[in-house]
Amino acid sequence: MSEQEPIIVAFVCNWCTFTAADLAGTSRQKYPPNVRLIRMMCSGMVDPKYVLKAFFEGADGVLIGGCHPGDCHYINGNYKARRRVALTKEVLAQYGLEEDRLWLRWIGASEGNVFAETIREMTEKVKALGPTELKKELVA
Amino acid sequence: MEDRIGFYVCHCGSNIAGKVRVEEVRDYIAGEPGVAVARDNLFMCSDPGQEMIETDIREQGLNRVVVASCSPRMHERTFRAACQRAGLNPYEAFHMVCIREHCSWVTEDENEATKKAIDLCRAGIHRVPLQYPLDAKVVPVNPNVLVVGGGIAGMQAALDVASAGFKATVVERQPTIGGHMLQYDKTFPTLDCASCIGTPKMVSVGQNPNIELLTYSEVEAVDGYVGNFRVRVRKKARYVNTDSCTGCGECAEVCPVTRPNEWDEGLKERKAVYRSFPQAVPITFAIEKKDRAPCVLACPAGINVQGYVQLIGQGRYEDAVRLIMERLPLPGVLGRVCPHPCEAQCRRAEVDQPVSICRLKRAAADRVDLQSLPKPEIEERDERVAVVGSGPAGLSAAYYLRLKGYRVTLFEALPLLGGMLRAGIPDYRLPPEVLDREIDYILGLGVEARTETRLGLDFTLSDLKDQGFDAIFLGTGAHLGMKLRIPGEDELDGVVDAVDFLREVNLGRGGAPGRRAVVIGGGNVAVDAARTALRMGCEEVRIVYRRTREEMPAYEEEIEEALAEGIEIHYLTAPVRIQGKDGRVTGFDCIRTELGEPDASGRRRPVPVEGSEFTISCDAVIPAVGQRPDVSWVREEDALPLTRWSTFEVHPDTLQTGLDGVFAAGDAVTGPATVVEAVAAGRRAADALHAYLQGGDLSSWELTPAVPEQTGEWAEIPEGTAPEARAEDELLPVEGRAASFGEVSLGLVEAEARREALRCLNCGVCSECMACVEACKVGAIDHSARDEIVDLDVGSIILATGFNLIDPTPMTRFGYGKYPNVFTSLEFERLTNATGPTSGEILVRDAEGRFDRPPESVAILHCIGSRDVNYHEYCSRVCCMYALKYAHLIKDRVGEQTAVYNFYIDMRCFGKGYEEFMNRVQGEGVKLVRGKAALVTDKAEDPEEEGRLIVIAEDTILGKMMRVPVDMVLLCTAMEPREDALDVARMFGLSLGRDGFFLEEHPKLEPVSTASAGVFVAGACQGPKDIPDTVAQAKGAAGEAISLSAFGKVEVSPMTSFIDPDLCSGCQTCRELCAYSAIEFDARRGVSVVNEAKCKGCGSCAAHCPSGAAKVSHFTDRQVFAEIEGLMA
Repeated sequence: MSEQEPIIVAFVCNWCTFTAADLAGTSRQKYPPNVRLIRMMCSGMVDPKYVLKAFFEGADGVLIGGCHPGDCHYINGNYKARRRVALTKEVLAQYGLEEDRLWLRWIGASEGNVFAETIREMTEKVKALGPTELKKELVA
Repeated sequence: MEDRIGFYVCHCGSNIAGKVRVEEVRDYIAGEPGVAVARDNLFMCSDPGQEMIETDIREQGLNRVVVASCSPRMHERTFRAACQRAGLNPYEAFHMVCIREHCSWVTEDENEATKKAIDLCRAGIHRVPLQYPLDAKVVPVNPNVLVVGGGIAGMQAALDVASAGFKATVVERQPTIGGHMLQYDKTFPTLDCASCIGTPKMVSVGQNPNIELLTYSEVEAVDGYVGNFRVRVRKKARYVNTDSCTGCGECAEVCPVTRPNEWDEGLKERKAVYRSFPQAVPITFAIEKKDRAPCVLACPAGINVQGYVQLIGQGRYEDAVRLIMERLPLPGVLGRVCPHPCEAQCRRAEVDQPVSICRLKRAAADRVDLQSLPKPEIEERDERVAVVGSGPAGLSAAYYLRLKGYRVTLFEALPLLGGMLRAGIPDYRLPPEVLDREIDYILGLGVEARTETRLGLDFTLSDLKDQGFDAIFLGTGAHLGMKLRIPGEDELDGVVDAVDFLREVNLGRGGAPGRRAVVIGGGNVAVDAARTALRMGCEEVRIVYRRTREEMPAYEEEIEEALAEGIEIHYLTAPVRIQGKDGRVTGFDCIRTELGEPDASGRRRPVPVEGSEFTISCDAVIPAVGQRPDVSWVREEDALPLTRWSTFEVHPDTLQTGLDGVFAAGDAVTGPATVVEAVAAGRRAADALHAYLQGGDLSSWELTPAVPEQTGEWAEIPEGTAPEARAEDELLPVEGRAASFGEVSLGLVEAEARREALRCLNCGVCSECMACVEACKVGAIDHSARDEIVDLDVGSIILATGFNLIDPTPMTRFGYGKYPNVFTSLEFERLTNATGPTSGEILVRDAEGRFDRPPESVAILHCIGSRDVNYHEYCSRVCCMYALKYAHLIKDRVGEQTAVYNFYIDMRCFGKGYEEFMNRVQGEGVKLVRGKAALVTDKAEDPEEEGRLIVIAEDTILGKMMRVPVDMVLLCTAMEPREDALDVARMFGLSLGRDGFFLEEHPKLEPVSTASAGVFVAGACQGPKDIPDTVAQAKGAAGEAISLSAFGKVEVSPMTSFIDPDLCSGCQTCRELCAYSAIEFDARRGVSVVNEAKCKGCGSCAAHCPSGAAKVSHFTDRQVFAEIEGLMA
């Protein structure tokens, strides 16, 4: 992977998307190496400042993976995640970050293929966007 | 303290090392700050691997450990335990990095995989120093176990739990336990009889003192956590007391309502009160009820319409009449003159036409001699009630008051009783004998009647009080006709109001109004007056109405009959004046109208067309434009409040007038309305009077006891219900009909009535005819039963909710639902079962759907909905074997000459003795054709195929298409998840697999555990499986539950939230966010506080806290930040 390869930091729910990522591995689904998982107990635990932190540290994209609506292990954490993401996207714009760099996806525990496909799509998308303004500043 | 981190990277054989250069990772991490030791090992999870960590902790003084290997979901616990053994707090010391599932297995390129692994490991190294000690909480475990589902899996699990000495509660949705297995006849490959091995299990479950059985029940809510669940169960009302029901079945004998029996896959029928099958556990019956039928809800009097219709269908007219009379004392009258709003709501109209309910009521009433009915037992009371007016309201009030024991006296102004029923409705619609019969019955109960006694003329309200009446009911009706308000109306001879005209004729005092009569109006009274005038000898009768026939309020059949009798109706015609000569009517001036804008009543207002006046030559004019009550008797000192329409003002619920103890109902309150409304109001008033006389406080008096919530859920209309003509009354021939007062409608003949009653769709399922109550000798039936809520405290839960079979109807090429001899597997199981529709004989159906002859040849089609990407990709695992079982049973029972074909994709006979069974069945001459059937058709191509089903398939071994004519086709339908699996999964905190079945925690190592600690799965709810596998898994799940119960305590995660009181601003935002209400507010300190016992550690509060006071242990901002920094460094 060259230095220009984008990095996606993924905050994933232990009960669904993390398990889906395990399943993608167990079933040997290949996907781009650009993603780095951070395990959370719930998507509703993802503080907007984690997202900002990841971008400030040089991430090119951030993925939040949660349970499908209605399936949250903690009743309704994913709904809270959805509202937070909507607000965080507003903030991102202030830093010159395109809102497409932050993805919220519902990926159930049995959806290893969906996880792999999401990473493929997102990597492509983030590559197309190029480095973030923040990263350019960091490099300069 | 200085960080001393030990880093261990696992090869996992070649699983990791095959893609990630493990040594490079080790060497890179060795250079990170704080790392004291960095090692690699072939299998870190092995004993030597764990030993290595423990030794390093002790000898190298490590205080932190990072292991990079598989997913933490796999081995986090293993390594935490190793750290703990070596004296470290595992939550403080240990972090696990996944470089297998998330790295080596998913990455193509070795360089990229290695770089990714290094990034992931570095994140762990950055995070681990910021972790701090946490102590796992140990909570006690409630030893009781909940088992959801009473099939073979649930029964086995419950029995195992019980035999370990713990209490199990089985919740089963059906009225009996047993599940699918008990629907089968034989089980493969041993051909054990399913009943023989299944019913003893059922009995054991039913009798085991450690097992509580909640059948006909469903779990509604689950709260709590492992060891301490609280489960709310709804015990649906069975309406049959399980303690006293002996299972004798007398109730089902008399029940008039027939339904397809689900247990027999609809191949057999059952009653609304039923038991799935004779060996059911519990053996008690249950009554299926839906919402009240729409006809019942529509009836103003609330008569149990469905009930009496069903009883009529059974020819039980006396029972029907008694049921009607619970709400209405005049069945014969209403069976003739009711406007039947019930029929407008009848759901039979969705198929063809509403059931002829009103006619049926008459049919029942005409066949019962009221005098022969057993006299109701009346408990006499001392109080006396005066009922003034003997119309429908008064008769109804008198009847129900008398039944309650009051001494009732009826006062009637006219010489005969009946009010408008007598004076208003002509005899050809309501023969006086019918009315007399029903009035006589009421009087026969001990009601005194005083005729020709008019209120205001012969007595006053205060007289009644003086005579010792304790309460008064006024049902004085609306007997005054309204005026036309046109010239000529008041002064000319030959103008007679319709109400007066009808009364005189009905009382036998009237004569013909003239030779040529004009009736003005469009209601029933107008039509009645016109037809009566005709019968009194008028040569020519016309009706003049301002609007069109569509707006005419008279009943459709009345209008039809009037027209048939030769009455002419002038629509869109308004009266102008009545012409006269020498004080006699000579003609009637009218004007044409057209319909304009709708008026207040919603009907379009007739507008006169200028210059369109014309004259009808006539000698009698009969206005029928409305009625109002005669209140001329009301004197000022009576202080009886009236409305501006001269009706009595009454309280809407109690029907009490402004005078204490004086109640009123009927037309006198509502203005002219229907008979059934008057009857209903009379009954209501009787209830209110009763409450009044018993000294009740009417201000808080409730009109009716709270009715169960209306759900609008009714029995489904069975598919393929054929349209049937609605029974119509036979009418007197038109010729000569208008010359007499003989009843025009002759009613339904008995066979017609019973056939008509059977058109009823039984919307409410149970019709509440109460026949079962009478039949039950032990008094076990209670129609007023309500659902019960049972709260259970349990420590663990076993879900054994089973499976459904796919409905093959949408796969039209197999002809299911189209050809009567295409069956699903479960239907065939019932055909072979001794308690099934054919008592175990394998038969096919004739054109009428009756099972009548054995098949000469049978095709068994495998993989219907399984191994099919259009339906279910998975294999259902049991079909090959039961298909062989079917083949054997057919050969065995129908005869070995019977040709049996199996159309298969692959034969999957994987279990113990399975392959041997296949060989045996092949030896019996069963033909196995490799190739999935493509089509089932009845289009014959040669004489041999005529009248049979032809299966078309490719034999993929021979490589050619074949057509096989057979008499019976069996579809091996796929097993699929229950329709509500997702809801159940959510309720219990489970995930669903891609196939829709419950997801186990690990497909190999944790086959019965789930994402929710303490919740286990067993049987086909987790995936298709046969009985041996199901039982094995049930025993496994029971083992898990028993170990929790036996150990008595369990560790729960210490990763809960906490709020730093120094930072908390007391905004309480977190309290609203918490889904578990785990955050309380300490008003004294002005801060929010987490209740750890309730907190599950989801972190909603932490993510939102504006001041950063709320945190989740093990997921603090610093820890997550460090992980991010490590990743990106």
